Amino acid sequence: MTDLPSKIQLDPEAIGRDLGRLVLTIVELVRQLMERQAIRRVESGDLPDETVERLGLGLMRLEEAMTELREHFGLRAEDLNIDLGPLGDLLPRSTFRD
Amino acid sequence: MADSLVYVYAVTDATQELPAVTGVDDTSVRQVVSGGLAAVVSSVDPTRFSEEALRRSLEDLQWLESTARAHHGVVAAVAQSGPVAPVRLATVYLDDDNVRALLDDNGPAFAAALDRIRGRTEWGVKIFAAPTPGGAESPAVDDTRPGTSYLLRRRAERDRAARGLQDAVAAAEAAHGDLAAVAVASRRYAPQDPRLSGHREEMVLNAAYLVDEAGAAALHRLIEDRDEPTLRLELTGPWAPYSFATLEEQ
Repeated sequence: MTDLPSKIQLDPEAIGRDLGRLVLTIVELVRQLMERQAIRRVESGDLPDETVERLGLGLMRLEEAMTELREHFGLRAEDLNIDLGPLGDLLPRSTFRD
Repeated sequence: MADSLVYVYAVTDATQELPAVTGVDDTSVRQVVSGGLAAVVSSVDPTRFSEEALRRSLEDLQWLESTARAHHGVVAAVAQSGPVAPVRLATVYLDDDNVRALLDDNGPAFAAALDRIRGRTEWGVKIFAAPTPGGAESPAVDDTRPGTSYLLRRRAERDRAARGLQDAVAAAEAAHGDLAAVAVASRRYAPQDPRLSGHREEMVLNAAYLVDEAGAAALHRLIEDRDEPTLRLELTGPWAPYSFATLEEQ
């Protein structure tokens, strides 16, 4: 049996950062899923131009907002991920950009 | 409980000289000889190297690091003077008689393993997919429809990333074929996670090659001459032939 740490350090700043990171990771997952779905629908060509434009604008703003929030918490793009062990990463690594 | 246990590093020819090197847990290193083979061993403290103690210690990263370094140090020092079949980290026997039994029971297999690596070295090759240069084929930006432009740009990026990785994997396969052709034997491992390798690029090949002297020269030439913008090659070695002479080979 591994010994449990005798003391758990509660650093409020670290907790805030970790919580922010967790929330942002979930939001980023949803954002990426929406974006991929939007691209697929654009590819299938069954959306009117106006809808494509509206979708794209929304996703673009969302990405900008995500970048701002990330910087606010001092996180890099690749920090927004969760290692799911045998299932791999929550977010595909290739989608990260600097 | 016995006064001491026997920690085994590697198996060599009985005639091979023992280098002056310190073993795990600051122990001295000695040989246990049987027939034409010698096991390179240390006497270790049973309170720290019993089965139960090891199970606990193997989860202690600091202990693991110092033990692995010492283990590798002994194997590497022994490998300087002749062929060596490394034994898995933290292999512990009750006493010298048990080690001799190991040598006797697996004599032919050890002898074959030593013959296979005699005069040969192992080199590791890791190949990374170099980041794909962006921008070149981005679709034209239409200022009047920024949202549409954004989606098209993202689609182009997605396609380029997928294509880049595919190309890199194919190029790495070709490189492996060339490298394996000059090697006596080769072995492939699962690509490492970027966090482990310390590189942000995707690893597309993680392989080890067993080569003789001429093969090593050819291997170096292949690595140096390969000029592919999509790949970054990393050569390490020479190593003691861990990948080709371990006990598990039998």
